[in-house]
Amino acid sequence: MILNRRSLMTTALTLGAMKAFPGLSFAQARPLVFATFTGSWEEAHKAVLVPAFRKANADAAMVLDPMLSVDQIAKVNAAKANPPIDVMLHDPGPALVAVGQDLVEPYPVEKSAYYKDLIAEAQEPMGPAPFFQVVGLTYNPEAVKTPPTSWADLWKPEFKGRVGITNLNSTLGTGWLVEIAKMRGGSEANVDPGFKALEELKPNLAAVAANPGALATLFQQGQIDISPGNFNAIQILKARGVPVEFVAPKEGAIAFKTTIHIVKNSPNRELAFKLIEAALMPEVQTTLMNPPYLIVPTNSKVAMGGEIARVLAKDTAELKKKFVFQDWKKINEQRSAWIERFNREIKI
Amino acid sequence: MGAAPAARDVTSYGMGLAAPLALFFLVFFVAPLLQLFWLSLHNDTAGLHWGLGQYLHFLTDPFSLGVLGSTLLLGAEVTAVCLVLGFPIAWLYQRVGPKLQTVIILIVLLPLLTSVVVRTFAWIVILGRQGIINATLQSLGLIDTPLKLLYTQFGVVIALAQVQMPLMTLPLITALGRIDPNLDDASCSLGAGSWRTFFRIVLPLSLPGVIAGCTLTYAAAITAFITQSLIGGGQMLFMPMYLYQQASTLQNWPFAAAISIIFLLAVLAVVSVFTTLGRMSRGYGGA
Repeated sequence: MILNRRSLMTTALTLGAMKAFPGLSFAQARPLVFATFTGSWEEAHKAVLVPAFRKANADAAMVLDPMLSVDQIAKVNAAKANPPIDVMLHDPGPALVAVGQDLVEPYPVEKSAYYKDLIAEAQEPMGPAPFFQVVGLTYNPEAVKTPPTSWADLWKPEFKGRVGITNLNSTLGTGWLVEIAKMRGGSEANVDPGFKALEELKPNLAAVAANPGALATLFQQGQIDISPGNFNAIQILKARGVPVEFVAPKEGAIAFKTTIHIVKNSPNRELAFKLIEAALMPEVQTTLMNPPYLIVPTNSKVAMGGEIARVLAKDTAELKKKFVFQDWKKINEQRSAWIERFNREIKI
Repeated sequence: MGAAPAARDVTSYGMGLAAPLALFFLVFFVAPLLQLFWLSLHNDTAGLHWGLGQYLHFLTDPFSLGVLGSTLLLGAEVTAVCLVLGFPIAWLYQRVGPKLQTVIILIVLLPLLTSVVVRTFAWIVILGRQGIINATLQSLGLIDTPLKLLYTQFGVVIALAQVQMPLMTLPLITALGRIDPNLDDASCSLGAGSWRTFFRIVLPLSLPGVIAGCTLTYAAAITAFITQSLIGGGQMLFMPMYLYQQASTLQNWPFAAAISIIFLLAVLAVVSVFTTLGRMSRGYGGA
């Protein structure tokens, strides 16, 4: 081989480029990437799930890349053949979108040690649910002396101008509307009764927040006294000294499955499976159930305790009785029409 | 390469220095914009069928047009408030000593030094039911029940006006600074009162600054997603939130792209009205 100036230069440049952009060489070489949600989810996963995973897998390298469900879907969609994410976390609506767009792999159920222990609602073959999010009634105990017991309490005249809701952009807002529709004889396929009920709620409405996070601010500012709310979000507010309480309505608290998925064509398929296994493990779910995280477990081997046992359910049997699961496949079919209708009709 | 030209034309500037920025804009602004336009020309969310359906949907839908109209109106209201409140500050700046000038500049710039989110949250505290305004009015006995200020158009306009005020005041300060103070004295010595001097001398000469300030404030006010959604809430729909809803919640990218293009054109139309006025005012000021 003859070494001349030009070939030396090319080699040097190539080596330099590979050093500067390690992604050029082998896609395989990157660590496992888990796209969790931002905020309290990221904190909980960083503190509990990641250490548990690394302990069980010889300190395998992994990265948390928190982002919204829609961004996860967009990023994977943009590079289907070589996705930048290995494990996705989704609310029920986006999960169906991800499955529908063929972005996730079926979960290797037969290989899993924990899948069979999950309660039936959490066993999703395209990606199991390691956690539930629970929506119930939130109220300010300083202003509301008798705790509410039913969704119907929001319509009581004493709450004139004191009720807050969110619009349908969020899972919470959409799920709540469906529940209201069901209370009045509707269903996931027919939310007309829900919209009628919203019309009657208008005198009581103080605010329609743009997102569930904004509801928290409204409680802090005394702008609202009662609203549908997410159990975890309320616990965080409570821990910061805001006077709020959570109560599961007698119609049942709305439970959303937060599902975890292996991304199709992931170069780290095996590690992705191991991470999800860690998330289903009773030990991890127990730690996440305790303060400060208070995340509702889905593994039936986890004994309910603390605040969750007090306000939600003492065991899996009671949980099944008190939680309402919704058919998001049906909801997704008409959601855009509902959002449009909400835009037009709900002006206060 | 050929030989260098014998004599360089010193009156023309080479475009070479602008090339890096131009290239940057081409790759990161023009290209995505073209992609957005391309996407908006599809009738289905998967982007397979070509057509003008998204534009037809928007332009024939009274609700969508209403959202566009209320957004443009919001911009006009905010710009008017900024102009009326900002002009006296800029005028004052030209007439005080250097120490006070520093204070004024600091006050004008202060909002720019904090994040928009923080400023907007401050307004939630001010406008809330138990906020400063309601608490004051109640303690003075002027109202019995708290006024609803948060989640109203009024609240959004006031908060946006404060958030965007520097964009109006700074160009005004510059424009007023360029006016020769002797013109004021000349006008007065020729018998004009202070109001007449203001309307015939100061205001026309400051028009370029007014136009620049209005353009900046307007563009910033109608696109202020954070302030609009935090102060306006979920039931007041403006274009940025409408866009977000379609793109993010509904994954209807072609419609979202069409909304962006229509919004962009509407804003360009308003801005070009401002620029035309600016050109006319230059002739006026020079006359």
